[in-house]
Amino acid sequence: MRRYILQRLLQGLVLLFMVATIVFFLGRLTGSPVDLMLPEDAEEIDRVALIEALGLDGPVHEQFGIFMTNALRGDLGMSIRHREPAVDVFFSRLPNTLKIVPGAMGLALILAIPLGILSATRRGGAIDRISGGIAVLGIATPNFWLGILLIYVFSVKLGWLPSARMGGWEHYILPTFTLGTFLVAGYMRLIRSSMLEVLDSEFVKLARIKGMSETVVVWKHCLRNALIPVLTLWGVFLGNLVTGAIVTETVFAWPGVGRLTYEAVIFRDFPLLQAVIILDAVLILSINLTVDILYAYVDPRIRVAE
Amino acid sequence: MGHRGLLKGYLLTLVLSCLAWAPLAVQAAVKQEGTLVIALDTLGAQSMDPIQESRSAHAHYQAPMYDGILWFNPEKGGAAPGVAERWELAKDGLSWIFHIRKGMKWHNGDPVTAHDVKFSIERTMSKGSLASRAAAVRRDVQRIDVIDDYTVQVFTKGVQVHFAEGLSRATYQEGQLMPKKYIETVGEEEFRKKPIGSGPWKFVRSVPGDRIEYEAIDYPHFRGTPNFKRLVILLIPEESTRVAMVSTGEAAIASISPESIKEAKALRLKVVSVPGTMQAVYQMYGMTLKGSQKNPLADPRVRQALSLAIDRKKIIEHVMYGEARMPMPFATFGYSVDLSTDRWQKWSAEAFRYDPNRAKQLLAEAGYANGFPMNFAITALAGTPFMVPIGLAVADFWNKIGIKVTYKNYEYGAFAPMVRGDQKQLVGAVSMFRTAGRPVAAARYFGGFNSKGAHHLFGYGEDCPELCQSFDKLHKAVTVETDAKKRMELTDQMVKLVADSWIAVPILEGMGYWAVNPGMVGAFKAIPGRHEFGDVFERMPRVDQKRWN
Repeated sequence: MRRYILQRLLQGLVLLFMVATIVFFLGRLTGSPVDLMLPEDAEEIDRVALIEALGLDGPVHEQFGIFMTNALRGDLGMSIRHREPAVDVFFSRLPNTLKIVPGAMGLALILAIPLGILSATRRGGAIDRISGGIAVLGIATPNFWLGILLIYVFSVKLGWLPSARMGGWEHYILPTFTLGTFLVAGYMRLIRSSMLEVLDSEFVKLARIKGMSETVVVWKHCLRNALIPVLTLWGVFLGNLVTGAIVTETVFAWPGVGRLTYEAVIFRDFPLLQAVIILDAVLILSINLTVDILYAYVDPRIRVAE
Repeated sequence: MGHRGLLKGYLLTLVLSCLAWAPLAVQAAVKQEGTLVIALDTLGAQSMDPIQESRSAHAHYQAPMYDGILWFNPEKGGAAPGVAERWELAKDGLSWIFHIRKGMKWHNGDPVTAHDVKFSIERTMSKGSLASRAAAVRRDVQRIDVIDDYTVQVFTKGVQVHFAEGLSRATYQEGQLMPKKYIETVGEEEFRKKPIGSGPWKFVRSVPGDRIEYEAIDYPHFRGTPNFKRLVILLIPEESTRVAMVSTGEAAIASISPESIKEAKALRLKVVSVPGTMQAVYQMYGMTLKGSQKNPLADPRVRQALSLAIDRKKIIEHVMYGEARMPMPFATFGYSVDLSTDRWQKWSAEAFRYDPNRAKQLLAEAGYANGFPMNFAITALAGTPFMVPIGLAVADFWNKIGIKVTYKNYEYGAFAPMVRGDQKQLVGAVSMFRTAGRPVAAARYFGGFNSKGAHHLFGYGEDCPELCQSFDKLHKAVTVETDAKKRMELTDQMVKLVADSWIAVPILEGMGYWAVNPGMVGAFKAIPGRHEFGDVFERMPRVDQKRWN
């Protein structure tokens, strides 16, 4: 087990190095932040001066060397726009994203589990078909459009909820629902497939032969086994939620990491973009590693295989 | 009691009445209440230090608390007295003398003096400054002398007739005033956390990525004493969310684009359009270079044909929803200085007409009756996304007169490097571009057409033919001519030279657009040419003071 963990950690480090290198060079291919910071009639003298003031004037390979040396010390550079260490900017916004992620995950599970089970146990029935429709709708509906629609209905027309921004508990409802919705569809389909597989197992047949009620068979015995792949994906989805809340946070003016990523891309804030992507990668790798380790502890077959 | 006695008695009564009502009148004049909430798409660097902000976003959120050495003419646009109540060019043309208003104070009560002006300009042009024209000001300024507490003299390197206007937010940001004594006492880091200015609004707090809060001063200010007690500027990147917030009353005013005007009006919001904030233009690259002679666009008749082929009124009506205007010549507006505005408005009405028959005739005369292939780069600069649909409409009009347009969309960050240097990817092609609304055309003309300018559309280096050399001479003459009448004549000549070349052509004069909740803020007027409202907030009345029609 120790060897497995060490191996995964090393793999993670190699992966992080590759991510840092790719982000560093690719980002610089997309243009200079100075072009976006200066007015369109800026003189060349101003352009050159700003490049120098921002430390963007050295050869790219030299800048990369400085970046990697500093990165090993945990310094991912100074945000060009915010004029603060990029790591500090990231961590100042991360808590805001983490405030809506648990709600989105919770909503997804609360809706997806019963819907998935009902679809599997009433396969081919009305509930199965309706749930299937909801799944397709959920996957096909762009987050962006859903968020704007919810604002229009619940804020503008009904006046029940605020349109945007962080605030009291009522400010969390629409962004959480928007962020969690696409997860509901994915989870629901996964639980349904997983349940169908488990329902056909020998041990379920035995449980029924032994006279256990259908409720106990489904909710106690089948669900536990059906949730294993869900737990695996839970880790992946959690990482994706944190990193992928870009659209939701932009629509709802939520000052989190997702919106920070969007701003870093738009304004070519290289140090901030590097920091966001690298730290997101660290987060996803950590979550995946944690899930894999837990998985290995829970399922001895995986330990033996490794 | 005779008539005199009666008159005396009447006058005495009148005077006593005025004295009795005076404290109430004073009290009524400073009554401030409520919070004005503005929703914007960007807060730039969201830094309260003027030298850390390089883009015009500063004009929204720094302008409320910082004054400019020069300010705006709130009725017509363009530069006007600010912290300097008057200024003059020295007889030898090598320095500008600014006379500072007396009685102004910083938010901590310290007086504003000429020492602050010297300090501010020097700080703005210092090496560590990120202000967009820091280097240009360093190049232009030789030294700054404080003559007395309310007089400062700025010595320039050579004659700089437009230097003073450059210190107005109507032109650039480099004239923002910063407190010398306070910064030297508390240090720069502390100043950035707890900034003070001299403007009508005092800084309260800044929440990164979310909002900035201010509190109104309660004493008279030349820009106006605010009617609201508090000002909050929110960062709301998504436009439909901004409109929703204004509709629900979560914000009073939000910046919008033309596409949202119909929706805003359907929600019973007022739409305030600010005229003269920009021009959408198209421009051609490498037309005067050696080796370009075979390019159809090298012929001025072909270039004029392209302009005549565009139905600008249709674009204004359908793409801009009626919220734009027919343009004047490149980078000129109703408030432009040193310009025969009436003459150019008449010229534009004729020159920018829609005349596809004449366009085809010109093409035939030039030998292109069957048209020719042309590459067209479409891009949109920050804040003006409507440049893309305008470009598509223009491409369509050109197709109609037989030009086979191949267009490509570029995100501006990727497009900007292509316009610099040898413009390899653009030589022989056309692109969309933009000019911002500024009162001094000469600065923009330098960037666009001077052989040393960023775009050098008339040529550069060794490839600077007659048109290029003529422009360089004319532009230089404009910038050093101290006689106003002669300078106007030279500016007119410079504008004509560019207009007759048809190399950079305006399509329309755009505006700034704002959705307003008429139940949250009273009727107000914007400043022409000033898209940002940083200098307007203090002039906005409450609803109880002035309702909308």
